[in-house]
Amino acid sequence: MSDATSTTESTPRIPSFVDICAGWHRASENLDKFQKLLTSDAKVAQTPKELIWTLNKTKLYRYVPVVPEQERKTTPLLMVFAIMNRPHVLDLRPGHSYVEYMLRHGYDLYLLDWGAPGPEDKNLTFDDYTLEYLPRVVRKMKKVAGVEQFSMLGWCLGALISTMYAARRPDEGLKNMVLLTAPLDFADKTAGGFTRWTSNPAFNADTIVANLGNVPGEMIDSGAKMLKPIENYFGSYTMLWDNIENPGTTDAWHAMNTWVRDIIPMAGGAYQQLINDFYKENRLMEGTLKLRGESVELKNLRANVMNVIAEADHITPPCQSERVMDLISSQDKEIFRVRGGHIGIMAGRGAERNTWPHIESWLAARSD
Amino acid sequence: MAETNVDFNPFDPTGMLKGVRDANMSAMAKMMVDFVNTDAYAESTGAMLDAWLTSSGPFRKVMENCMSQSLAQLNLPSRDDVSRLAERLTNIEMRLDDLDAKLDDTLSKIGDRHHE
Repeated sequence: MSDATSTTESTPRIPSFVDICAGWHRASENLDKFQKLLTSDAKVAQTPKELIWTLNKTKLYRYVPVVPEQERKTTPLLMVFAIMNRPHVLDLRPGHSYVEYMLRHGYDLYLLDWGAPGPEDKNLTFDDYTLEYLPRVVRKMKKVAGVEQFSMLGWCLGALISTMYAARRPDEGLKNMVLLTAPLDFADKTAGGFTRWTSNPAFNADTIVANLGNVPGEMIDSGAKMLKPIENYFGSYTMLWDNIENPGTTDAWHAMNTWVRDIIPMAGGAYQQLINDFYKENRLMEGTLKLRGESVELKNLRANVMNVIAEADHITPPCQSERVMDLISSQDKEIFRVRGGHIGIMAGRGAERNTWPHIESWLAARSD
Repeated sequence: MAETNVDFNPFDPTGMLKGVRDANMSAMAKMMVDFVNTDAYAESTGAMLDAWLTSSGPFRKVMENCMSQSLAQLNLPSRDDVSRLAERLTNIEMRLDDLDAKLDDTLSKIGDRHHE
């Protein structure tokens, strides 16, 4: 008896004509939605902010505080993102935004947007970003906030610039520094695809820059995607299709895809320096890096440091962020390891429960 | 997970494709990651990029020269002219920012004296 029941249940039912029509209708609606999600932009970076300073393409924003002045932290936080992506990922969508989260916790929050370099910026180097732009940004922020000390959060190449700034300008009031997935140590030439590709003698950054000026965003984007080709070129879209009827997932995907698609070029001079001085010669860690003719010595970095490392980071493998902790002079320093990838640790589903509260509590203890 | 016979539904072709995809995706992903992390891949992509840039460079140069000459004949600025102008504007912006800093400094000193 039970055998007979199980056979009946496992036999596929022949769909009726009505079922087939309904199925086609649903599939065509889903296809339409899929196509719209692929080709349209979601609204990102919606938290209100005011522009307080500009220089060339660089902009400094101050987010409109949401808590009364007496409840705010006295030490402002400056967020420095990478130079080859937009910083919107810090404020991806309402209800899932690191910016919103920090504002709710009473931070006076500033965002440095490096902007998209034009052909006239092809000679910009890390010397300029670190010693020309960032000190001016800090000066303006300190003046607007009316304080002498500040905290800084650097992510990816923004963390590299922040680290060099902190080492070269240790007396400008930097109190706390949060490094997120910081690519600093390139000693291991087999760690991660980027290091392997760019340290190969066949890879010539000088030829790229001589021919193209700025490095096109498409080239950087395809390089990043080729680190995990199946996931990025195929898996991301199949995941979307599988969840096409789940608005929570599609909204998150749409916002992230909007950020991913918004690619910008990288200044040629900075790219050349990144490949030659950092990836190939590891000058920052070797102590041979010079900016504007002066050595960058990590021992000069004295600010409190929290170094957030993504354990599954394929862009900045953990080994590229670890050794810096032995070379800086900070007394108060901590490594925080997070399960996740390069972007996922701050923009993924677990960020709000794990990474954001940890950073916030670390900063809160040092911001008054 | 491979699709079992019990799950097999001949009236759902996309379900079959999905089963095949799910069964192979992670293996394919791992294989591709291993592949792009080989020295052979690094060397071949580096060499291809270099060859493309080196071979297309002279053509690009010729095109740029032609364009610059045409624009000059028409009394129009070239990209280089605009870039040079933009660089000068950035330098002026920096000077203004320096002046702004000095003015702030002076005003704050005046304010301090006033309070004394």
